[in-house]
Amino acid sequence: MIGAIDLQVGVDAVSFGALFAVMALGLALLFGVMRLMNFAYGELIMVGGYTMYYTRDFGALPMILITIVVVVFVSVLMELIAFRPVRHAAPVTLLITSFAVSFGLQQVAFMTVAKGRQKGVEPYPWLTDQHHIAGLRLSNLDILTLLVAAGLLIGMTLLLKRTTIGIQLRASTEDYQMAQLVGIRGNRVISFAFAITGLLAAAVCILFVLRTGSLSATMGVTPLLIAFVGGAIGGLGSLTGAALGGFTLGVVINSIQSSLPVDLSGYTLMFAFLFVIVVLVIAPSGLLDLTRRVWSAATTRFEVLNRRAA
Amino acid sequence: MSSAFALGRRYLRAAWTPIVLSAVIVITWAIVENAGSVTLEEDVMRLFLWMMLVLAWQLFSGNSGVMSFGHVAFMAAGAYFSALLTMSPTLKETTFADMPQFLASWIRPAELGLFESMLAAGALAALLAAVFGIAVARLAGIAAAIATLAILVIMFTFIVQTPSVTGGSDVLVGVPRETTPGNVAISLVVIIFAVYAFKQSRHGIRLRASRENQEAAQSVAVNVRLERYIAFVIAGVICGVAGALYAHYFSGFAAADFYFELTFIVVAMLVVGGMQSVAGAVVGTYFLTIIYLTARRAEVDGALGIEWPSGTANLLVAIALLLALILRPSGITGGREVPWPGALWRRKGAVAASAAGTVPEEVKEAITAGPSAPEATTRSRPDAPTPTSGESL
Repeated sequence: MIGAIDLQVGVDAVSFGALFAVMALGLALLFGVMRLMNFAYGELIMVGGYTMYYTRDFGALPMILITIVVVVFVSVLMELIAFRPVRHAAPVTLLITSFAVSFGLQQVAFMTVAKGRQKGVEPYPWLTDQHHIAGLRLSNLDILTLLVAAGLLIGMTLLLKRTTIGIQLRASTEDYQMAQLVGIRGNRVISFAFAITGLLAAAVCILFVLRTGSLSATMGVTPLLIAFVGGAIGGLGSLTGAALGGFTLGVVINSIQSSLPVDLSGYTLMFAFLFVIVVLVIAPSGLLDLTRRVWSAATTRFEVLNRRAA
Repeated sequence: MSSAFALGRRYLRAAWTPIVLSAVIVITWAIVENAGSVTLEEDVMRLFLWMMLVLAWQLFSGNSGVMSFGHVAFMAAGAYFSALLTMSPTLKETTFADMPQFLASWIRPAELGLFESMLAAGALAALLAAVFGIAVARLAGIAAAIATLAILVIMFTFIVQTPSVTGGSDVLVGVPRETTPGNVAISLVVIIFAVYAFKQSRHGIRLRASRENQEAAQSVAVNVRLERYIAFVIAGVICGVAGALYAHYFSGFAAADFYFELTFIVVAMLVVGGMQSVAGAVVGTYFLTIIYLTARRAEVDGALGIEWPSGTANLLVAIALLLALILRPSGITGGREVPWPGALWRRKGAVAASAAGTVPEEVKEAITAGPSAPEATTRSRPDAPTPTSGESL
């Protein structure tokens, strides 16, 4: 019985973790390519949310398609207007720029779509239908989240490893200047990166809104903070690290919130951010990188010992 | 007699920037006192309190080049702590019925005046900044920015989640209204002098050196972490004091007052004004406050025959920040302090002459090249500010 409950918690946690991993991935991509910590990522999710609201009567598939198109468009537009002029500035200047874009978009939302009464997207009833598989409750939404997250992660990996543009993107992530020197077109790669971010934001937005249902001008802040923490813990420079970091965070937060007494669970964000500060100080390039270094140090030591023994 | 005059002139020149900036503050204060308008007073108080924060930001971020997104957290701590120490004991009895005993035993009976509570707020802010500063001082660039942002989120979450001590996310009411424009103006003048003195002190100079080139600064034995730490804590104290003044002017405030929106406005003011100078902090605050409050007025009363939706003011601030970042990254002042009038007159003359085309070619070159060029050293006074640095140390 206890085993089943633990497993149930595990399923929920994994579903959350997958969602958080996708969130962190979108943030890490831009950080990798242009050292941009994009605050406005949350606002892409917000834009997607309101697009869903205005297209909710068109049926599920058109709604999803329009949302993706709109969010990708806004994301690319954002790069053209705000980030291209300051591209070569220091990372902190880029961060402030994205802060301005994020805040500006929130205000535009306040002035237009978020005005008046609270809006919401009613989740489709079939999403909350539950299946009982081997004693576990699995809602369609959980399955959908897992499938979409897995699909996106695999798709991203294939895109980055197998396609020309993906390889160019990774090259730019490694060393932007060198990539330009060998003939990679910076503008194209960066526009592409923003488009991918938009796609990831749209996916996060759809899964997130279907889960919570409510919309507001500041709805992007929470997913952004989560992605922020996940990315910082896993290592924002590396895509795998960020995805793993986001996943771990989702699992940890979900397990904490289901096991701690209710009045302490509100502090989750506080502890998460305290942890971020600690990670930044002891392993600025992320925990994944730290484990790698510790591992390689340990194996080298082991080899040395082996050789001595022989 | 003439040497005493020269000495006085030297001191005046050394303190020229804070003197001019303080004069601006005092004039603004005098206008408020004489106008007798409540809305104007409230606007100017907002301006003054924002300016305190911007000055604190200038002290840390402007000198060190490490962007902070977290000092509003220390303001929040100062505001809540000072409010708790000055509210009437009976009110605290009812508002904070389940405050933990170890706090309630000394917080409930406390009934301090404004000045003592300002000191207490500054002390708590110093303590918190001293703890968080250990981490932030070790970081630079984007990591430091994330860490300071984390401080902001931690403080906000703590306040919202701990209603037994802070009232949670509700508005905390009943704080005695003791702050007057005079209190704030005087504090502001003190802070302006302190921030400018810090900038010119050995700590400020070391910190600015580390901003320009960290490795070079370290190679001449500048302890970058220590200098950052000192600036971080001093800026925290200023924010704590500003929080106390804020709490005792608006008398009702909530946790959401000290979060992303305020941080954003302060960062925008600093960047738009020019973060490398104290004058930039003051100019940026005046500039954006006027835009912001005019737009706020338009949101309420309407302007140009249109109803302006709420959010216009914040949107204008965001646009101003974006334009500044794209068009003029060093801000309105370009990182310069208030120019000494003599130098201003001389440089204006030189530029006007070169524009008129009456100056021979090599003199023009000398003017653009600055005093490092051989001709220029003979033509311009050695203590005149160079066009590149624009500030005299």
